[in-house]
Amino acid sequence: MRRIGPFLVTPNPSPSWGWSTIVSLLAIAGALVAAGGVFWAYGVAPLVAYRTMAEGTFLDPRALPEVVRRAIPLLLVGSGLVLAFRAQFWNIGAEGQILSGAVAATGVALFSPLPPALLIPGMFVAGFALGALWAAVPALLRLRWGAHEVLTTLLLNYVAAYGVEWLVHGPWKGSSMMGFAYTDLFPEAAWLPLLGTTRMHWPTLALGLGWAIFGSVLLSRTVLGFEIRVQGENPEAARYAGIPATRTVLAVALLSGGAAGLAGVGEVAGIHHRLLSPGQISMGYGYAGILVAWLARGNPLGAIPSAFLLGLVFTSGDVMQVALQMPFRVTDVFNGLLLLFLVGSTPLLQMRIRRVSGAGGEAWTSSS
Amino acid sequence: MRRFAWALVVLLVAGLAVGGVAQPRKLKAGWIYVGPIGDYGWTHAHDVGRRIAGKTLPWLETTYVEKVPEGQVEAFIDRLVRAGAKVIFTTSFGYMDGTLSAARRHPDILFAHCSGFKRASNVATYMADFYQVYYLNGLMAGALTRTGKVGYVGAFPIPEVKRHISAFALGVRATNPRATVHVRWIYEWFNPAAAKEATEALIAEGADVFAFTEDSPTVVQVAAQKGLPSFGHYSPMYRFAPQHIVSGQLVHWQKIYIDFLRKVYDGTYTPRNLQNVDYWWLLAEGAVELGAQPGMPVNPVFRPRLEAVKVRVSGIGTVSVYDLVLRRLREMSQSPPAFDPFTGPIYDRNGKLRVPAGRRMTVQELTTMEWAAPGIVGPWPKEPK
Amino acid sequence: MDVLLVTFLRALAFGTPLLWAALGEIVAERSGVVNLGVEGMMLLGAFFAFATAQLTGFPALGLGVAALVGGAAALVHAVVCVRLRGNQYVSGLALGMVGVGIAGLLGRGWEGTPLRTPLPELSWLTLSGLVLSGVVWVFLYHSRWGIILRSVGESPAAADAQGVQVFLVRYLAVGFGGLTAGIAGGFLSVAYRPSWTEGMTAGMGWIAIAITVFSGWDPLRAVAGSLLFGALFHLSFRLQGFVAPELLKMAPYLGTILVLTVATARRGAWWQEVPEALGAPYVRGER
Repeated sequence: MRRIGPFLVTPNPSPSWGWSTIVSLLAIAGALVAAGGVFWAYGVAPLVAYRTMAEGTFLDPRALPEVVRRAIPLLLVGSGLVLAFRAQFWNIGAEGQILSGAVAATGVALFSPLPPALLIPGMFVAGFALGALWAAVPALLRLRWGAHEVLTTLLLNYVAAYGVEWLVHGPWKGSSMMGFAYTDLFPEAAWLPLLGTTRMHWPTLALGLGWAIFGSVLLSRTVLGFEIRVQGENPEAARYAGIPATRTVLAVALLSGGAAGLAGVGEVAGIHHRLLSPGQISMGYGYAGILVAWLARGNPLGAIPSAFLLGLVFTSGDVMQVALQMPFRVTDVFNGLLLLFLVGSTPLLQMRIRRVSGAGGEAWTSSS
Repeated sequence: MRRFAWALVVLLVAGLAVGGVAQPRKLKAGWIYVGPIGDYGWTHAHDVGRRIAGKTLPWLETTYVEKVPEGQVEAFIDRLVRAGAKVIFTTSFGYMDGTLSAARRHPDILFAHCSGFKRASNVATYMADFYQVYYLNGLMAGALTRTGKVGYVGAFPIPEVKRHISAFALGVRATNPRATVHVRWIYEWFNPAAAKEATEALIAEGADVFAFTEDSPTVVQVAAQKGLPSFGHYSPMYRFAPQHIVSGQLVHWQKIYIDFLRKVYDGTYTPRNLQNVDYWWLLAEGAVELGAQPGMPVNPVFRPRLEAVKVRVSGIGTVSVYDLVLRRLREMSQSPPAFDPFTGPIYDRNGKLRVPAGRRMTVQELTTMEWAAPGIVGPWPKEPK
Repeated sequence: MDVLLVTFLRALAFGTPLLWAALGEIVAERSGVVNLGVEGMMLLGAFFAFATAQLTGFPALGLGVAALVGGAAALVHAVVCVRLRGNQYVSGLALGMVGVGIAGLLGRGWEGTPLRTPLPELSWLTLSGLVLSGVVWVFLYHSRWGIILRSVGESPAAADAQGVQVFLVRYLAVGFGGLTAGIAGGFLSVAYRPSWTEGMTAGMGWIAIAITVFSGWDPLRAVAGSLLFGALFHLSFRLQGFVAPELLKMAPYLGTILVLTVATARRGAWWQEVPEALGAPYVRGER
């Protein structure tokens, strides 16, 4: 407990929503100031840069769908990972799970005997299944032999990436692509419908929104959700209460891996319409999804705003390149700074700041 | 005094009017790159072309975006259009479908897609191809190898790279009928470490002359460290090994860019007549050049060695490799070329006749060729039987 | 030349930067701090080493500057996740982005020129990498400082109770990790391939992290790990006619998972345990 001027600062490990938002906004403001320094050093006035970015993203009705399109995979991955992280299952293998989903979707689209009407549902089911399987392996390795999932999920990302690489160069290489490393195009029945004239593949967006709601209900209203929360907050207590770790860990692994798999289906069925090299399919959504989940602060619904925020950040990078002719590495610096400030704001987040008037009476609380 | 003021006003107005008239019509063109412009390979070369075009054409305004993922090309095209670009160049095969799709949404914008094969009324295609230059490099490599093994580090086993390796191998065999070309693939356009280890693997297997397709000077540097000759690729790499680089291939994308943009500017090309516009530019058009740096087809260090090797060539007689290279270069620099390396009869490495006697391969055949020329050793994915 | 000998030499050359980066990561993780920003620190090191060596003509000086820059970058990570208790994974990823980005921005215009005075790739640096792993091994297992470092990684609260300055130890360990990652990157641009190209590390930082795991946080096994990764990388080009290269590249990752699983199942045999407090910020309890 400390006193700074008229404020009393006490630690608070579980901050409220309002306070989280305020702190996040403060961190973003700090990052903007720091990034402004970089822009300035590069010869672009920071205010001009920010105005251009705003005009090129949320103020531009034609650019907004692009923000959403970037946010779709982030939303699915992020809201799935929120569940995993709540149960203390550190799945950082979403990248590989996205790729698994993409592979499964491609298999169904190109090689399954399904009638055209069932192609898209079949692709989503298969994508979910393979993504879930890709996450279930590390879960089982941990439950059965205690292998740490941070490491196994990370390593499986590489296995998935080289697997995709092998497929597109080898057995699945398309005959119509002049020998380039792509599979053939999916039949049109396997293309996801787009919203109006935009390139938003709305079925995946709907799945993502639905998933976030589902996750939130699951966590707050069901027995499994209760078990996940207990398991995550206090594994000892969970054991005493007779909650089997097998069930919770496996459940969150399947749910988070499956959601990432769905995101992979959306990317190949909604955008590329073919399987291609792994770096072009996912563009790091699996890693960015970790940030989405982390920004969501444990609430699946929180993944909705945070996915859009990161979609916005990515799209701002595009604007900086096109409108300000900055090299693409500026995007890395900008995103990195933003994250560093957000991560660095943790102590502030875990503080309760109260104003004490004179003798110590409470005037207002910034967080409950 | 008043008269003077009037005169001033008249002068000013006249000046403004003249200035307004003289103010030339501007054309804005945008480039979309797949890699960073600092890759010192494919994207770097396109960017050099862009900058030269911008300097050459006073009415041209250029803009670019680098490192655009394939799935994002449409979004970036939209942004460039909104930023005022009237002509857009998309410089990677993977942008093909995205370019076509964006072109339908922007029917008044002119597009040019590099290395693809799909066109539309407002989408042209273009390519500056190296196969002739690779053949010339092959002639020199065949003369320079002592072990009879020439190494080739390839990026991806796609028709473009396969065509270049086959042209190179035909050249090698023309001056050294027993030599072989050993190929290793790195499955990446840019990965210096992989290019280095692939070169080391080839050195370990006895290769002593090197050519490659990768967006960095790594192979040249590794070969030079071992004192072995090599051929540069894409950008001027002479500086990286002045004593060891023999020659190489250089590209001048600006030739295509300037020609295309001039024709857009003067109204020859419109968004309605690009359906059959396909640039396939070679030595004769100056889009590609032989050498490790501009203006130096063969490194003088290697001239004596190349002059010392004599070969018998049908139709020419006995000639030194140096003279043969310059002669073939001259012949291919004419329009139409008096010589083409892919002139039949050509058998593939399995002994199957691929080009009948007396016929030249067509552009269509060249851009889809999958077979391997005789003398090529190593894996060749999707090799036709 | 003998295939085995060539493979060994190539493994040594390609393994040197991997080993340097992995040794630093091992020390950092032994103190309980994961740093996923290795790629960024290496790329910073690569650029600064090249620029310094090119301007002064002294590659060793370039490596020194690379070490300092890498160490400084790592300290940013340390401040964020040690002092400010930020999430280590997120902070590391962020540091990686900033590092890669800054190196790319500064490096504009340095492409396309070879280094005037390169170091040979198999040199004192390779040798000192091997020596360093021995030194780190002795330090970790046979010195009082090593015990302190490991105790901070296992149970910071207990170490704190013993009077260890947990934060200081973590700063030093993370800083050391940045130092060696900087040198690893510098090795690439002044010795392995003496020139600068944007993005030239091409994922080696991540391989170094995989080696850290593979080694079970043991510096001597990191030597084996980097040699294995180096050898497999080289062999993926030698054996191209027989095995698909993607599958060969996949092998070390699958192997690591296998070794990790078997080893954790049979604790203590070949594998060390994951440092207990790895990834968790330390908050000094209020007493």
